[in-house]
Amino acid sequence: MLLVHPVHEVLRQLPLLVGAIVLGSATGNPMWAVAALAVTVGLGLARWFTTTYRIEPDEVQLRTGVLQRKMLSVPRNRIRSVQTDARLLHRLLGLTVLRVSTGQEAKGDGAFELDAVDVGEVPRLRALLLARSPAPAGVAAPAPGTLLARWQPSWLRYSPLSLSGLLMILAAIGVASQAGAGEALQRSNVGQAGLEAAERFGAAATVTVVAVAVLVASVLLAVLRSLVTYGNLVLKREPGTAGADGAEAGVLYLQRGLLRVREYTYDMRRLRGGTLRQPLLVRAFGGARLDAVMTGVNGAGESSLLLPSCPAATAEAVLAGLVDDPEVVSGPVIAHGSAAARRRWTRALVLPVLAGVVLAVVASTVGTPLGLWLLWAVVTAAAAALAADRVGSLGHRVSTGWLVTRSGSLERRRDCIATAGIIGWTVRQTLMQRRAGVATLVAATAAGTKRYEVIDVPAGQAWVIAAQASSWVADSIWAVR
Amino acid sequence: MDSPAPRLVEMADPAYPPSRSAPLVWALGGAVPWLILAVGQLLWIAVDPRNFWLHGLAAAVTVLGAVVSVGVVPVWRYRVHRWEISPQAVYTRSGWLVQERRIAPISRVQTVDTYRGPLDRLFGLANVTMTTASSAGAVRIVALDAAVADQVVAQLTDIAAIGSGDAT
Repeated sequence: MLLVHPVHEVLRQLPLLVGAIVLGSATGNPMWAVAALAVTVGLGLARWFTTTYRIEPDEVQLRTGVLQRKMLSVPRNRIRSVQTDARLLHRLLGLTVLRVSTGQEAKGDGAFELDAVDVGEVPRLRALLLARSPAPAGVAAPAPGTLLARWQPSWLRYSPLSLSGLLMILAAIGVASQAGAGEALQRSNVGQAGLEAAERFGAAATVTVVAVAVLVASVLLAVLRSLVTYGNLVLKREPGTAGADGAEAGVLYLQRGLLRVREYTYDMRRLRGGTLRQPLLVRAFGGARLDAVMTGVNGAGESSLLLPSCPAATAEAVLAGLVDDPEVVSGPVIAHGSAAARRRWTRALVLPVLAGVVLAVVASTVGTPLGLWLLWAVVTAAAAALAADRVGSLGHRVSTGWLVTRSGSLERRRDCIATAGIIGWTVRQTLMQRRAGVATLVAATAAGTKRYEVIDVPAGQAWVIAAQASSWVADSIWAVR
Repeated sequence: MDSPAPRLVEMADPAYPPSRSAPLVWALGGAVPWLILAVGQLLWIAVDPRNFWLHGLAAAVTVLGAVVSVGVVPVWRYRVHRWEISPQAVYTRSGWLVQERRIAPISRVQTVDTYRGPLDRLFGLANVTMTTASSAGAVRIVALDAAVADQVVAQLTDIAAIGSGDAT
């Protein structure tokens, strides 16, 4: 490990070293490069010598800093998850970065990060860190857990349905044009040949060819990205060591990535449910992705992701296993009634109808081309379909210990929240909602995205739902029976 | 939950209104931005007296805004705002156009803050915020008489001290 740290430091400071080498060759004095290399290696060594960690009965401490000493201590009972992240280089050297996260979102300096821990050390460290009570000496490796899901190559079919590939292409074009690649291309032979070809084939054909090329490239990129980030994904549930309260909740273990391997270990006691997310296209092909709702894990983005887009049946089965109730995951939901439906329809159709009126007025005075009317018809039909789908997906369900809320069309989500984790209720009504006799019920939790909304329930139902889910609402002095 | 308790039909509203001077404070607070806007417009007229209709329009908008935020909103808010604390939970109603009713169990309250702005201090008011582990769960009781606010804080910290666990 001692030899490895300077290597990391050298790689991390590679731009600086390249600069030093350039400077050295420019000034004709190679000592610049040697000095920079020596300083970097020295820094790496010093960093290794000055970084120590210790695991106390009630807290873990990390001391770092070459010139500026810093000590970070984390109470052990606040550790929510342990992650490892091994980039390619770390993997080649049999190392990994171990990250301990608490309820707070720690960034940069605040993060408890052990860079370059031996992979062999990780199971022992993880068991030690996640055990609530002081672990007995010589913790045995945890027993093999039950496999919840394993990545299948067939999951790749959902990856082109996201926009990530297209976004990557757009970003690349943006960077390239920033760097002046456009002008360079125009002057180059390839660019000239392309322009001539475009002139020969005509604008329409060129646009089609370019569009198809971008589409194919984005599909390839999206599939590749999905393969690299999620390939070899394994989701397991492992029995953990018994906590201070004697309950054995176990841990959730997630490993993913082909080149850069990331491992996440979540304390099951912190699991407050899960979210099934189905973007429209993924849903059309019967897919879904699964996010964990967990205290100490940000609800949005990559960090909460348990399964990427995969067959909905797989995602549902995994979530059902986690919440111990298949009805919560796939059972029917209660629709929100006609007022909510009317609001969805109004919202979707106000703009198309207004546009139609404008078009009609213009048509009666100046006359509009048929194409415009066709476009209007298509947009209106799409808006109507969207409204119908949004009405169809809106719903909620309260069963023993679980609140389920479903909404959305372009990005449909079904949130399953443990009612034990709900620490506040808000009933919110805008002026329009009061007139329509509906209300939005917001469940506040410490987990996931922190707020989970039940949109546009009939106003009289809002507190009934809250009371069904949380007995402390039903038992409060304000409850009228 | 498991044993079907008597079905809740409706939630009664919280009992207590904010301080009597709350509408006055809200009106003064609401008047400030419009006053600044009005001064700006006077300066504009002084510098550039052309475009009479534009000045008239701007003045009309300012007067309308001032009347709404000084004359209408404070009264409306006063009629909506209510709060009450039971030994188990804290329950508030707030807002005017968008109205919210929020309840949180006191066992999950993590911090209790009191905030007093310049206008609040002038009129002896205080705002109490109870935060929970969820960013969507903070409960605010605004525009209380300072004595009432102190009492609320004392009561809340008394009850919250009994709770155990890490309130998540």
